Amino acid sequence: MQTTNMISVKESSLEKIEYQNLPGDFALWIFIFAEMLVFGVLFIAYAFSRAQNVALFNDSQLTLNRGFGAINTVILITSSYFVVRGVAAIKKDLKHQCAYWLSGALVLGSVFVGIKMVEFYEKFNAGISMSTNNFYMFYLSLTFFHLMHVLMGMVILATIIARTRRGAYSAKQHTGVETGASFWHMVDFLWIILFPLVYVIR
Amino acid sequence: MQMSQSTLFSTCIFVLLVALTFATFSIGEAGMAGKSTMLILLAIAMIKSQMVAHYFMSLHQTRPLWRLIMLIYFVIVGGLIAVAYLIGLA
Repeated sequence: MQTTNMISVKESSLEKIEYQNLPGDFALWIFIFAEMLVFGVLFIAYAFSRAQNVALFNDSQLTLNRGFGAINTVILITSSYFVVRGVAAIKKDLKHQCAYWLSGALVLGSVFVGIKMVEFYEKFNAGISMSTNNFYMFYLSLTFFHLMHVLMGMVILATIIARTRRGAYSAKQHTGVETGASFWHMVDFLWIILFPLVYVIR
Repeated sequence: MQMSQSTLFSTCIFVLLVALTFATFSIGEAGMAGKSTMLILLAIAMIKSQMVAHYFMSLHQTRPLWRLIMLIYFVIVGGLIAVAYLIGLA
């Protein structure tokens, strides 16, 4: 009797586990994993290059504006949160709310780009370029490569916002929104690693 | 307007992510360096990234394989960065 009860408890708990597929289009997830791999290799290359010349990397790191880096981190995290709210809204068929949340994320993306531009301007104005030293080579190439992903994410978000406003997505069909959201979150968590690595850890 | 449970949860994750960013920034501003500081900062970065992947990307609702791939990524990348910094300190 007791054994029968245990089996039925086990069966009912097994029934509860219902995994979902990866959110969005699977093809984009291949791209996300590929991008993660590329950034991962660049992060590791930065760290090992630093190990060869710690003093140079530490001195050069002091010239960076850590405040800008931190503000940009908060901006990307907030925009990611807005995207989460946008996805939640479309799942409830709230198309206007979804468009508003995603527009908020897009505006924050533009602020990120603006701050990055000021940062680059300051560095180029001070005569710093990729050939100055190894640290700046990594700093400029990593942050510029990431910036390209932010811009790509913004184009994706803008497209999704326009399509949402036209009523292309609904509670039943929102794969496009989830696909764009997944890409934007990837851009966010890559910056979350990049910020302490390049701006803080010494 | 009342928040749903999942919205409240993602809001908590967001607040925690901002708090951890502030902690990272403060450690940098205090000029802290060395082995333990490096390990703490790396751990914070990997936990934050994992939180974004897990809860914002909704990987916590997917098959364990995807979560495992993500975890392995953060462990390998974070681990190798730590090794490189330890070599630098030596």
